[in-house]
Amino acid sequence: MMIQNSQELKEHEEMRSLVAELLYQLADDDFLIAYRGSEWLGLAPHIEEDVAFSSINQDTMGHAVMYYQLLEEIGEGKVDDLAHGRPSHYRKNAVLLELPNGPGHYRKEPEFDWAFTVVRHYFYTQAKKVKVDSLKDSSYKPLANVAVKINMELYYHLMHWKTWFHQLLSSNDEARRRMMAAIEKVCADFGGVLSLGPNGEQMAQHGLIEGEEMLMRRWTHEMESVFESLNLSFPESFGMKHGDGRKGEHTDHLVEATATLSEVYRIDPAAAW
Amino acid sequence: MGLIGMNQLTEEEKYEHFMKRIEAGEKIEADDWMPEEYRMALIKLISMHGISEIMGALPEKEWVPRAPSLRRKLGIMAKVQDEMGHGQLLLRVAEDLIKPLGKTREDLIQDLFSGRLKFHNVFHMPAPSWGDAGLIGWLVDGAAIITQTNMLNASYGPYARALKRICAEEVFHAQHGEAIIMALAEGSEQQREMLQDAINRWWESLLMFFGPDKAERTGSSKQDITIKYKIRTKTNEELRQDFFNKYIPRIKSLGLTVPDETMYYDEEQEKWIYQQPDWNKLKQIMKNQGPKSEERLKLRMTAYETNAWVREALGVKSKAM
Amino acid sequence: MSNQSHDFYQEFEVFSRKSDTAPMQYQFSLLAPNHEIALVMAQENFMRRESVADIWVVKRSDIRKMTQEERETLKRLDNKDYRMTKGYGYLKKKWRKFEQKMLDEKEILSWGGGGKQ
Repeated sequence: MMIQNSQELKEHEEMRSLVAELLYQLADDDFLIAYRGSEWLGLAPHIEEDVAFSSINQDTMGHAVMYYQLLEEIGEGKVDDLAHGRPSHYRKNAVLLELPNGPGHYRKEPEFDWAFTVVRHYFYTQAKKVKVDSLKDSSYKPLANVAVKINMELYYHLMHWKTWFHQLLSSNDEARRRMMAAIEKVCADFGGVLSLGPNGEQMAQHGLIEGEEMLMRRWTHEMESVFESLNLSFPESFGMKHGDGRKGEHTDHLVEATATLSEVYRIDPAAAW
Repeated sequence: MGLIGMNQLTEEEKYEHFMKRIEAGEKIEADDWMPEEYRMALIKLISMHGISEIMGALPEKEWVPRAPSLRRKLGIMAKVQDEMGHGQLLLRVAEDLIKPLGKTREDLIQDLFSGRLKFHNVFHMPAPSWGDAGLIGWLVDGAAIITQTNMLNASYGPYARALKRICAEEVFHAQHGEAIIMALAEGSEQQREMLQDAINRWWESLLMFFGPDKAERTGSSKQDITIKYKIRTKTNEELRQDFFNKYIPRIKSLGLTVPDETMYYDEEQEKWIYQQPDWNKLKQIMKNQGPKSEERLKLRMTAYETNAWVREALGVKSKAM
Repeated sequence: MSNQSHDFYQEFEVFSRKSDTAPMQYQFSLLAPNHEIALVMAQENFMRRESVADIWVVKRSDIRKMTQEERETLKRLDNKDYRMTKGYGYLKKKWRKFEQKMLDEKEILSWGGGGKQ
């Protein structure tokens, strides 16, 4: 069944709640990783990279906005309230994306880990690309339309992260060691990224997006050749070490991030800022 | 001047030829002959300008993750990104000037850390509220636009070209700042207070932004040299008066005040009469002893050192290639 | 450490084309450790707000630039209308005598059919 617009969707409550659940995952994923990315601003290893990275964060937050807008259209609340007003246990992002950039804080002693950032962003972007490709055929037409738009900007993001990933892994021993450690850290929670949550199967049955297994197979297909070319063995498993974000399980890092990102908003949520 | 001409000239003749070129409005390029005084004045001015953009990203950057709406988050991200981008452009110009001295970006960064290379006084100040984020965009950038447009026709070509790019983006910055303060000015009592507090907090820094009107105030000023070489045209005081002309009426129109009750426009002299800031504070800042000097330098240093392995890894690689 | 950082900071010149038919235009220079990273930095550093159809990055050391004195070789006299269309403007009048229109630049370039792209 193809649903053309939000009005039509509201007539099918089961479908509506599935669409909402999927949109929360997509929106919160992009929002959180863009937020973490924005903490890097001014602190990247290289000034030129700082500028390039910020564009990716802006694009990604822009994608979150588009998903939040779809949520607003189906009656979930206003875009800014959805992004700023929901406490952490209501958020559906994968836990991997809320983990901090490294020790320290963006305003104090930021000992951020570039290797972790490169690996997390690269793995995530490839996963996002697989999902967005699938969403282009979503049975919820407004989501399919948004996916077509978002897809346009993913080529650059992928090229950017793949270049860093490839170069750091083929440079000196220290960089390779740091990158391997980062891959291990990312894999421990990467299982959450391609998860569609407790109702993933129904989402697939309703044609909203393909099932997790198919998404995982596509992601693996893309990544295996990259690993091979770098003489790396492909990870054996992907976990959810710090919890399953799709079920609302999160770390204290998200509690803190939510407090920070809504600090001004909470002064007066009804005000125009 | 013929093909072999330049080498045959005495230093004095080279200087004369150089001055003729800049007086005729010609642009000097990086590899052209230039007097040492000119090169040094440019290095000092442009490396400070460039590193100030990089350090200037930090006070606003504090507000990037905390901006109150998605649109504001995106806007301030783009704005701070531009600051980094302006730093990139300006440092490239400075790097080409220090190249004959055997120096690179690494030296500029190390000079920043050691205190040899200064960054602009406004970026040593705290930005404790969202009002400050708006005020920086509105008035600090407004002041920056006034000083930068004053150098758009600088005799040094690479600087003039970088400034042209920068000023085009500053128009967006000014509007970004206005959008934030307009929302606060038209908002609740609390929001208006936030804005007024920010003005009060930044007023003295804004006065100092343009530098002293005379060297005696702080013991040094490079304004004469930069005017002689047509790098800029107006004096510090003229720029400050331009700033008042443009912004005082706007501040007042929003029902806001500046924390100087004695300030007025003297119709006869055609200038604003205002209370001098405490220039000793600027002297302190010039020694990196401002309220946030140490903290911001440390932030940059920590990030730079934490990431050193990245530059080492790829630097080695490029050598091997 | 410092030497290795120097190796990281290689100079690249960035060129771009606004559209498929536009000429390559110089943008600015950037520092990067190699061509690949330079290419990935180029668009966002210099063309954040404009359309781009293609980008080149060139290692600065591969560019032979002119010196201040060599730039003097670029000047020439304005006495070469024999190689410009303006040197042949009188043909317009001549053709009129034979009741024909002159095949000027506008006319000739319109023969491709599409006009300006």
